[in-house]
Amino acid sequence: MKRSWFMAEFFERNGLALGLYLLLAVVFWLFILIILPQLSMLDFSFRHHLPPPEMGGPKDVYTLEHYEYFVLGAQGSEASYNIVDLGVFVRTLLAALFVTLLDLALCYPLAYYLGQSQGGGFIRVLVLLLIIPYWVNEILRAFAFRIIFGDSGIINELLITLGIINNPVDFIRENVALYSGLGYAYILLMIFPIYNVIESLDRNQIEAAHDLGAPWWRIHWRIVIPHAKPGISSGCTMVFMLTAGALAAPQILGGPSSLWFTQIIYQWFNQGGNWPRGAAYAIILLSVCIFIVLSVMRLFKIKMGDIGK
Amino acid sequence: MSSGKPLMKIFLGVYLVIFFGYLLGPLIIMSVTGFNSPGFPRAAPWECLTFEWFEVLYDDKRIMNGIKNSAIIGAGTVILSVLMGLAGALVLTQIWPKLRATYYTIVIAPILIPGVVLGISTLVFWDRISVMLGLSNDSFLHNGIFLTILGQSTFIASYCALVFIARLQRFDTGLTEAALDLGATNVQAFRKIMLPFLKPAIGSAAVLAFLASFENYNTTTFTFGKFPTLTIELAQKVRYGINPSISVLAFLIVALTVVGAVGHEIHLRRKQLALANGAPIGRIGGGFQLPRFLRGNPAAVAMVLLAFTGFSTIWFANAYSPEVCKSEVRAEKRVLQQQLIEEVRQKRLRQKQQKDRQGPDIFGPEKSLVPKATGPATKSPGQGTFGNVFNPQNLDKAGPNSGKQKGGGPVTNPGKSTFGNIFDPKNLKNEPKSGK
Repeated sequence: MKRSWFMAEFFERNGLALGLYLLLAVVFWLFILIILPQLSMLDFSFRHHLPPPEMGGPKDVYTLEHYEYFVLGAQGSEASYNIVDLGVFVRTLLAALFVTLLDLALCYPLAYYLGQSQGGGFIRVLVLLLIIPYWVNEILRAFAFRIIFGDSGIINELLITLGIINNPVDFIRENVALYSGLGYAYILLMIFPIYNVIESLDRNQIEAAHDLGAPWWRIHWRIVIPHAKPGISSGCTMVFMLTAGALAAPQILGGPSSLWFTQIIYQWFNQGGNWPRGAAYAIILLSVCIFIVLSVMRLFKIKMGDIGK
Repeated sequence: MSSGKPLMKIFLGVYLVIFFGYLLGPLIIMSVTGFNSPGFPRAAPWECLTFEWFEVLYDDKRIMNGIKNSAIIGAGTVILSVLMGLAGALVLTQIWPKLRATYYTIVIAPILIPGVVLGISTLVFWDRISVMLGLSNDSFLHNGIFLTILGQSTFIASYCALVFIARLQRFDTGLTEAALDLGATNVQAFRKIMLPFLKPAIGSAAVLAFLASFENYNTTTFTFGKFPTLTIELAQKVRYGINPSISVLAFLIVALTVVGAVGHEIHLRRKQLALANGAPIGRIGGGFQLPRFLRGNPAAVAMVLLAFTGFSTIWFANAYSPEVCKSEVRAEKRVLQQQLIEEVRQKRLRQKQQKDRQGPDIFGPEKSLVPKATGPATKSPGQGTFGNVFNPQNLDKAGPNSGKQKGGGPVTNPGKSTFGNIFDPKNLKNEPKSGK
């Protein structure tokens, strides 16, 4: 009853044509593009890996096979757990966390500086410079790091010329290239939310605290950071999720011994040809990432509405 | 801010240099490698300034095809995402307050969902739809362009929605109400009031959507099918063998970005200046005012400088030929190679001499007996007794034969060649052993 009244008012307010457009576009987006594909993937991840003719046949029943595989590994293997996949998963999450904190530490001072300075030409140029890398292709950004950190890359050449080392350091194997590339890839999604929030902070508050004798770290701890919390959380959430879900940088910069979890998913889809297992792994990645983000947000008392501002 | 202290200022300066070095350094180095002549992109041992990689890039059919596919997909994504994002934002302003938080969460969730997951879910979902409908594998549901547009629009529409939501927050609903009171229909009110108000947001959302679509990899890599976009092609090139034409592409993108950003900045500046002076925008842009305008605007200065360097580069590219330098480098390399070869030859010679001197000592007694016994025989005047056997004519016959079999030994030392088949191979085999 109430709903139909709501719909009637909706059409009355927007007119038939506009109302239909709004309704169709939103329904298409929310259901056909967002919700149903996710549900379909969830459903798919509980099914056996079957050849197409057998799909929908008697063998097509629900199973936990792929999730079991993720935890326990292939049946009949010696190890009691799937050490490879679990290890990659945990390492991916830890590395993503590390990259997020690194980006936060790098960005906070700059965001504070940009947000609290009076503007002017210099600041505008800095902001302009910040935007440039963002428009450059993700692949090319990773590629740049490959040039820099390669065996005959500029850092190795420089170090050898300076006589610090004799043989080139394998930065790619040591994952230095990977972490710098990942930190680089999404650094702007960290800096702009924090910058936007700090910009709205009244400068008088800081001056008042300063006049009252507060040291600089206390000013940050008690005034700036609490005010910037939505921006910080928004930036951290985005960087963490995107880093954990990154595919390009690990594929290009990852060492031979280090695998990113998304690469395993990619392999199940493109090389292994086991779609349900890939879907199950994708579900695992998605749900664990969401769980981590939600619990951190709960911990720091941040609302979902703050994200994306 | 406590930037008044000099120490703090130094820290700040160092920090800014490090930060922007990290941010821009890779791009600069990568761009530089596009002008260096070695076949693998590298900046460090600078060889020759060259523009050949521009041609290589231009002739690369896969890259060009990728750009075409990216443009098609980008256009589709822009249309779809702007339409959906706009609708999403407008609905947010009207939706039931109780539902608003949930709705907002769903709308922005695609930004946070990893692109890989979006790509997979799109692929799986449409695959199942086509199975359900009983369509063949060639149907449009399996078309790479169709799937990629849908997959990308899923999250790019969220970006657009955020842009529209930010703009709508500043909208005065009184305007629409006034229009409706004055007798406008809903559609009229939307077209005459809401759309003009949202126009700048539509523009920036479209630009944002196109760029996001153009550079997307994670989602596209699962959905592209037979239509690889530029990013996909680049990724494959970067993973399996590369040449600096990719650096040239990066350079072009960076240059375009800089020009675009600076141009946008100048445009904004003009507008602000005009507003501050209370003057209509058109008056500020007068050509004769440009010099004064330049003085106070570093961005404009940068723009002019950039244009200048751009033109001088083009002029230089026409006037300059890298061939001279390249042949020089080649010659240098050849000299270096010659030196290396010479060194190796010298080393061999020295080893040989050493071996010749040490030869008798190193050779085992049984083995050394043979050459010792036969050696004098060849040199001895008694040779004559054998007469015809050791005839030079015989040598000529034997020479090519044994020469084919083993090295040039018989030619340089014809006296041995008669015995060549007997102990030359042994000697040759012993050589490296004794050398070491």
